[in-house]
Amino acid sequence: MNVLDITGVTKVYNPDTVPVHALRGVDLEVSAGEFTAIVGPSGSGKTTLLNLIGGLDRPTAGQIRINGIDLATLSANKLIDFRRDHIGFVFQSYNLIPVLTARENAEFVMLLQKRPRAEREARVTQLLREVGLEDRMDYRPTQLSGGQQQRVAVVRALAPRPRFILADEPTANLDSVSTANLLDIMARLNREEGVTFLFSTHDQRVIDRARRVVRLEDGQIVSDEVFDR
Amino acid sequence: MLLKIAWRNIWRSPVRSWVVIVAIALGVWAVIFLMGFSTGMANSYVDSAIRLEVGHLQVHHPEYLTDREVQFVLPQADSVANLIAAGPGVQAVSVRTLVGGMLSSARGSHGLRVRGVDPAEEAALSQLDRKLVEGAYLPEGRRNALYLGKKLADRLGVRLRSRVVLTFQDLEGNITSAAFRVAGLFDVENNGFEEGTALARREDLNRVLGRPGAAHEIAVMLEDAALADTVATRLRNRLPGLDVQTYMQLSPEIRLFESQISASVYIIMAIVMLGLVFGIVNTMLMAVLERVRELGMLMAIGMNRPRVFGMIVLETLLLGLVGAPLGMALGAGMIRWYGRHGLDLSAYAGEGLSEFGMSAVIFPDVYPGMYVELAAAVLITAVLGSLYPAWKAVRLRPVEALRKL
Repeated sequence: MNVLDITGVTKVYNPDTVPVHALRGVDLEVSAGEFTAIVGPSGSGKTTLLNLIGGLDRPTAGQIRINGIDLATLSANKLIDFRRDHIGFVFQSYNLIPVLTARENAEFVMLLQKRPRAEREARVTQLLREVGLEDRMDYRPTQLSGGQQQRVAVVRALAPRPRFILADEPTANLDSVSTANLLDIMARLNREEGVTFLFSTHDQRVIDRARRVVRLEDGQIVSDEVFDR
Repeated sequence: MLLKIAWRNIWRSPVRSWVVIVAIALGVWAVIFLMGFSTGMANSYVDSAIRLEVGHLQVHHPEYLTDREVQFVLPQADSVANLIAAGPGVQAVSVRTLVGGMLSSARGSHGLRVRGVDPAEEAALSQLDRKLVEGAYLPEGRRNALYLGKKLADRLGVRLRSRVVLTFQDLEGNITSAAFRVAGLFDVENNGFEEGTALARREDLNRVLGRPGAAHEIAVMLEDAALADTVATRLRNRLPGLDVQTYMQLSPEIRLFESQISASVYIIMAIVMLGLVFGIVNTMLMAVLERVRELGMLMAIGMNRPRVFGMIVLETLLLGLVGAPLGMALGAGMIRWYGRHGLDLSAYAGEGLSEFGMSAVIFPDVYPGMYVELAAAVLITAVLGSLYPAWKAVRLRPVEALRKL
């Protein structure tokens, strides 16, 4: 079953002044449980595609359906609630809330969903333990390394059990040890939790671990390969 | 959680937050002090007017207040006074004979109003005996003794035991004169009263007037000024042939003064709060613009716009909730200290204040309700100051905000 159906998506920036065609008629289907990397050189449209899938931006043309819901039918406010309930985000620069501890950051989305305290605590404690941060739960982001912050961000994205996780260049700011560590964690959570991961990256270490690699160039999909890993 | 984030957010930039908190505290302190000072001035004026001149109520012959003619005497004034004194809420009653005339000395003469009183009754009401600075307050056994304001004595060049001549119209309309001797001098920090009023024993004045037992006015002091209308209504029913008026009717300028002071306090409060609004807008706008990326992230991961808006408003409210109590504590402490010791303005405006019937020593006072009003004003100001920054925050588009450095 597809969690994501993209049909003929086009994105043009500055259509009235200096048009920039970021995406040109992209079609893509992603099934539940995939571990997919969207790759391509800078400016190929990876981040634009992820932003459109995440409902952070609207396409100029085409349709994006997540679990059968057409994102174009949702108002801006409904879209925020939709993201909260169905999509987990991992950003390149971690983007944790600096005034909250690792545990508070991790349970933040569940809190927005008004999940019971006991459920939040159990889920976040379990996930932080799984990513090796059980002794850093009460640390604030500034007291954590980049790799640790990104692991907290992954836990935050995973905690509310979203349909899939969008990760925009998640390893771009990490050293090789932290990258390997993070990829191990995400691969394991993908297997164990069955959550779909969709990365945008040009990091070969990530590409090497992906089971499907979609290559974008000049706003178009030029290859789509599946690997048995 | 929203409260926790808002509280921690305001301490992310402690210096900036403290600047706003101190600005709010100083604004609140300034308003409290001005409120207290204005209320103290109003109290000084009203107390002086009530104590020295009108009391809370006055009873007259129905035609007396129209022309203040000496022939409009109260019938059976002493019996009426006893009846009033026996009523509930009445603290003191003074029966007065009033004549307007000319007081002459060897050096000059001056127009004035002489109040013929029973010294004990009048002392209980106006406490003028406490204002004695020289001599004695209408001593018993001394005939035609006069209790004179010190300023009028200086103007007429008279001292204790000086002989002065009082000339006025008697009950038949004839001009009559009588010699009085200055027995005591008072100083009331109210130039108009001190230069225009003298006290004599009622029996001395009535003797010259030619009608023992005559009286023109019964002044009444109540236990509480708020009872004035109630007691006046009761007395009007009991004394249908007489004119009963409250201090607000007799001296409408008191109400005017009080309302002007009150209005000026609210205007000052509004100006201070307006200044604070701009300070808060500036600070909160900086706080929002510094966190564009973070706010974009919050909206990206599912924090909806009302929550983002609420978080910014809450942060501003928290600044107010820290600043306002600080300012209130500072202001209340100052009001308490000066309320006890008085703020002496005699070096700057003593004479000017006396001209308007106010003491040069102001005792600031703030009613508890004023603190509630001020707290509400600060909270409203904080909310108003947060609206624009909060609106800017929710107008952010996550996709653009996340790109900001």
